[in-house]
Amino acid sequence: MTSEMQIDSYLTALRTHLGPLTIAEREEIVREINAHVRDSAEEAGASVESVLARLGPAEELAAQYRDGQLISQASRSLSPLVLLRATLRLATKGVFGFVAFFLGLFGYTMGAGLVLTALLKPIFPANTGFWVNDYRGFGFISAGSTFPSPPPHAHDILGIWYTPLALTLGSLSLLFTTMAIRKSLRTSRRWQSRM
Amino acid sequence: MAKLRAQPTEGDQPDRWEAQLRKGALEMAALASVWQGRLYGLEIIRFLESHSRLVLGEGTIYPILNRLKAEGLLTSEWVEAEAGHPRKYYSLTETGRVRLRLMAEAWTSFSSGLSRLLEPVLQYPEDRELSAATMKLEEKEIPQ
Repeated sequence: MTSEMQIDSYLTALRTHLGPLTIAEREEIVREINAHVRDSAEEAGASVESVLARLGPAEELAAQYRDGQLISQASRSLSPLVLLRATLRLATKGVFGFVAFFLGLFGYTMGAGLVLTALLKPIFPANTGFWVNDYRGFGFISAGSTFPSPPPHAHDILGIWYTPLALTLGSLSLLFTTMAIRKSLRTSRRWQSRM
Repeated sequence: MAKLRAQPTEGDQPDRWEAQLRKGALEMAALASVWQGRLYGLEIIRFLESHSRLVLGEGTIYPILNRLKAEGLLTSEWVEAEAGHPRKYYSLTETGRVRLRLMAEAWTSFSSGLSRLLEPVLQYPEDRELSAATMKLEEKEIPQ
């Protein structure tokens, strides 16, 4: 294989593994690595093989770019999907990410659930609420929407106040989860690059 | 677990620790390399090698530069060169300068404190230290 072909096949592999990045980012990286290989190979005693070997496998190089990119973009994002995806990526790297992912999932589910039921309350007032269920001497509490209607001995203690309260708590939960994930991604980035 | 940690024969541990330490300083080192003016990737690698004996996998530095740029600490521009292809030059942003300054201050005070702490360790004769460690280990291993 000629050195031109070696460079081409390395850059093609790099481009492929950089897949999730935008085309502009990808091409910029490939262009920079291309310049590096050519400059580096011209140094005394260097060859294209040795330069490519020092760079490491294209797949690993691309993975380092992807991790950095995913986490640094996500730490500025507001989208639950982007944020959860980034914590999921962290979760493959250690306990910290694992905990962040599950707390994130929990926070989003709770927040979304509260907001959803707050909106359902005006439509299905009998099925949505915060009940104290005094059943055979045991006190249960439950909240949310339930179909069919809740058991007759359940007592809805909030009434129309359910909507504003659930809306507030749900929004706070979503906001807090978003902030917590972003904070943890930013913290993780400090040690992430060192692995 | 405690026994495992006490074993002085675990050869690769200090190496791995040193590798972690070097990598940990890399972000700051990359920023410091462009303190005096813009450089392109390969120049940064060579600069770090000659000024700090930080020898690194060449694939390591580029993703770090990319991230530092995404964080707004570095900025980059493509400059045509007589080599026939343009090169991507990095320079510090104002935020980058401020951040590097803070990092340098924290690093210097931290490392000078640690150096004082480690002085007696380095002065202690190595063979005596090792045999003392081995004796302690043997004592621990006697079953209760």
